[in-house]
Amino acid sequence: MTQLVTAAPTAPTPESQRARPPRGSFGVVNFFSQGFLLLWAAMVVLPLLWAVMSSFKTDKEILSSPWSLPASPQFENFGRAWTTGHIGDFFVNTVIVLAGGVTITMVVGSMAAYVLARYSFPGNRIIYYAFVAGLTLPVFLALVPLFKIVGNLGTIPVIGPYIGLNSYAGLILVYVAFSLPFTVFFLHSFFRTLPTEIAEAGLLDGASHTTLFARVMLPMARPGLISIGIFNVIGQWNQYLLPLVLQQKQSSFDTDHSVLAEGLLNLAVAQGYKSDWSGLFAGMTIAMLPMLVVYVLFQRQVQAGLTAGTLK
Amino acid sequence: MANQPGSEFTRRQLLQRAAALAVLAGPAAGVLSACAGGGGGSAGTTGTKSATNPLAVAEEAPLDVVIFDGGFGVDYAKYDINLYKKAFPKANAAFSATQKISDQLQPRFANGTPPDVIDDSGANQIKPGTLVDSNALTDLSPLLEAPSYDDPNVKVKDTLLPNVLDVGTYNGKVYLLNYGYTVYGIWYNAKVFREHNWTPPKTWAEFKTLAPQIKAAGIAPWAHAGKYPYYMGVPIMDWVGKVGGKQVLIDIDNLKPNAWRVDAVKASLNAVLELVHNGWMLPGTEGMTHTESQQAFLDGKAAFLPCGSWLENEMRKTTPAGTELTVLPMPDLTASDKMPYGTLRAEAGEPFIVPAKAKNVAGGLEFLRIMLSKDAAKNFAQATSSLSIVKGSADSVTGSTGLASVNKVNTAAGDNLLAYRSVTDWYPTMINEWEAATGELMAGRFTADQWIDKVQAAADKVAADSSIAKFHRDK
Amino acid sequence: MRFRRLPFIAGFLIVPVVLYVIYVVSPFVQTVFYSFTDWGGFSDTQNFIGISNYTRLFQDDIFLGAVVHNAFLLVLMPVVTILLALFLAFMLNVGGREDSAGIRGVRGSSVYKVVLFFPQVLSVAIIVILFQSVFRTDGRGLLNAFLMALGLVDPNKPVQWFNSPDLVMWCLLAVMVWSGVGFYMVLFSAAMQSIPKEIYEAALLDGASRGPTFFRITLPLLWENISVAWVYLGFIALDGFALVTGLTPDTGGGGPDHASELISNVLYRAAFTQGKFGLACAMGVALAVFSLLLAIVQLRITRRDRIEF
Repeated sequence: MTQLVTAAPTAPTPESQRARPPRGSFGVVNFFSQGFLLLWAAMVVLPLLWAVMSSFKTDKEILSSPWSLPASPQFENFGRAWTTGHIGDFFVNTVIVLAGGVTITMVVGSMAAYVLARYSFPGNRIIYYAFVAGLTLPVFLALVPLFKIVGNLGTIPVIGPYIGLNSYAGLILVYVAFSLPFTVFFLHSFFRTLPTEIAEAGLLDGASHTTLFARVMLPMARPGLISIGIFNVIGQWNQYLLPLVLQQKQSSFDTDHSVLAEGLLNLAVAQGYKSDWSGLFAGMTIAMLPMLVVYVLFQRQVQAGLTAGTLK
Repeated sequence: MANQPGSEFTRRQLLQRAAALAVLAGPAAGVLSACAGGGGGSAGTTGTKSATNPLAVAEEAPLDVVIFDGGFGVDYAKYDINLYKKAFPKANAAFSATQKISDQLQPRFANGTPPDVIDDSGANQIKPGTLVDSNALTDLSPLLEAPSYDDPNVKVKDTLLPNVLDVGTYNGKVYLLNYGYTVYGIWYNAKVFREHNWTPPKTWAEFKTLAPQIKAAGIAPWAHAGKYPYYMGVPIMDWVGKVGGKQVLIDIDNLKPNAWRVDAVKASLNAVLELVHNGWMLPGTEGMTHTESQQAFLDGKAAFLPCGSWLENEMRKTTPAGTELTVLPMPDLTASDKMPYGTLRAEAGEPFIVPAKAKNVAGGLEFLRIMLSKDAAKNFAQATSSLSIVKGSADSVTGSTGLASVNKVNTAAGDNLLAYRSVTDWYPTMINEWEAATGELMAGRFTADQWIDKVQAAADKVAADSSIAKFHRDK
Repeated sequence: MRFRRLPFIAGFLIVPVVLYVIYVVSPFVQTVFYSFTDWGGFSDTQNFIGISNYTRLFQDDIFLGAVVHNAFLLVLMPVVTILLALFLAFMLNVGGREDSAGIRGVRGSSVYKVVLFFPQVLSVAIIVILFQSVFRTDGRGLLNAFLMALGLVDPNKPVQWFNSPDLVMWCLLAVMVWSGVGFYMVLFSAAMQSIPKEIYEAALLDGASRGPTFFRITLPLLWENISVAWVYLGFIALDGFALVTGLTPDTGGGGPDHASELISNVLYRAAFTQGKFGLACAMGVALAVFSLLLAIVQLRITRRDRIEF
């Protein structure tokens, strides 16, 4: 297949008005497909609604009558999750790490993917496959060595404290490194779909490679960049293994830099001991809604980017 | 409360495991610390020994404590840290709280930078056996031999309840100070029993007469946390010890050949199977978590539930008003049980440790000495409605039916106390099979013989595996 | 075009490659090293024991069982997810009533595209909590309550879902499919929209009905998307750690009686509760090699010609 899709696909337009003989079987299929879609949508939405509904209930209601409506909405669940669960602090930490992590991932990821996709040089394949291989490795296996590595970087004079354990930049760099495989893999195929002629024309006009990349290729790759950007936001937002180990206090005297996913898990783990289920669901709702809103706002770009990124 | 020995199995709850993804144990410190410059541990800083400072704590050395934030909460630790600060005003003392002890601390152990005191408890506990085996812990004998906080003429070890150090003793040395004290048994709501005019059964025969009446009243006689078969270990293993005597459990722990193939085990399993096959179980209980089953029990859907004495505190927030939680020792199973009625499993739990590589070992030991003071112990009992291992710590605790009944049965039991370690914290591979077998038994998919075959095979496998360090106990 | 080409390439690659080597490659290299040792996790020393960890793996029934369960997911999860996603995407784009406007998706398809994607943005912790409640084993579980209300399940014998050795893997599969379908539906749906409508209309004019249209036109045109999806799903099927530890019974999940052990949770347990870090690393290396092979196979299948400058 050769079509190149570089812009958002337009919705099917009613361009053809040809009359056509009615087909009875279509009515049945339509009914069936509507029904099936409805069913699947219900399967997706109901559990989420249930979680949001639970966040307004008391602990006793959650445990004793999990499927009933709250007798009276417990708004203080959110207050408790926000303050005593420190969801507010974790939120800020998450935004800081995410802003740095996603930005740097996009910059270095697109640079690497671009060079690997469009320039042949010795070692190209090796580097590309090394990145792709990263997709397959179980992250938690790397955690302990990673803890030492980040800890050691923290002992470097001057910059150490900024990139060591329990530092924002330290976690950001780790996020970037672990986001690279997917980013490079995704953007690699994307850059290769871009037309060669434009690049050649640009170089003949005397543009440098860097200018060509920044002025021509990146703008053309925009749909792909947006969708991989959104994947990285989702992925880094929900990451909890890496911060669990790297972003923890190294002694009781440290500042807590935990991110939201950890905070949520703290709440979740605490349920086995304290039965603060309402606080958990409130925290969950707080963590869940921003992502749903982000997706709803950007869903057109995601869909456009997905088409562009995977159609070769 | 989540802190009892073996509680790593108790406290599991689904998210804990998801949370637990965790760090795979600390890495080969040798190789990495070579390039790491880590491994900064030494015997730690010390100060000058004196009458008020018998452990020679350096007055200015900071103290870093990690507390397991479980059912006990952290308020008691706050109190104890303040006591430490009062004693050493020049020291910066602080604690942090977590539920993920192992996930957070294994890298620090591996890096040679552990905290000074750890409350190593909960589902994500670091296996004590593993720590002991790796020489990662400080021998607590200097603490135990030191004069107590309140009376210089009495040693610390003499202020404790009898036998409470056994659990933390490995190969003759005390490495873990289990600060809490837990009683196990089956629980019922005395209020419900009174309303129905039921008498709590003292023998299995009485239980079997009562169960149909309970069922006729629309209540399931029995509930348990089937998702975590650890909980059914309470009645099964307690009965094994009660019917067969302490020696049976000691043989089992010591991996004696065919230790599981004794009548006591089979009798106990068959009795449990009667619960299953007579339809006395709460429908669905074989797949429920501890919180789900405990809540169903509290909501009056089931009459009995096996659990440890943390139950009352753990479910405090969602217990219906008027509930009178009461613990019951295992009923006599046969007319010839080796142990009398009232025999209990009761143990010290909530292990506190001082890492060998802690920067302030002396301070860590001193912190424990402070925790064992009358003041701290009394505060602990008040803050947590729980017993600690300090003698008389709960004397002032009132107003809780659960704790009152725990006190009562514990006093009545005297020396008739049971313990087992191999399937709670010594041999993880064996624990795994023991749990799996119990899960199958409770789902009605295993017979007693199948259970015994599976568990015995697991024990034999551990015994034959030279890579597993073995532990031993004589009492 | 060779002008300043190499400095440019090096300049663009240096940062990503250095970051990648420091934070990803070197930890995994160390893991490979540990897999040849008897290291338990806390001791200061470890001994080199050659390949005994690897030979041990092949005698370990629980590990081998886990490999089988992973294979089950590896085969079924991508297939079911892709088929469902294709079906839904087809319905959304060309499954609607045929009217004066020609071929179109069912009513509300834009809403479906948003809603069905939701699971993709949920953290796995949230998914675990949700499905624990859905598959709860007593009458308070959503599914059991529903089936009991329909009279399909005896209230005294609720379905055991994750606690049943016959159902547990299917339940895991269902959760994985639930969380994955929306994403691939959006993916396929976007791809379908880029297929010129005239092709469909021509086919319909020729008298082709919906089934043949799908198999003769849609499927071949989407083939590359499908195979990319298959690679992604394969990686997901090989992991499954959080779901299996959170939702299935017994310590660290994998129950009942090892009926749902996956490589990831067996590995975790070995390293974490059994103090066999070296063995766990060997499992991890085996898993990595396994998934690397999968990736290579897939990359071969989906390989494209290089664009030359």
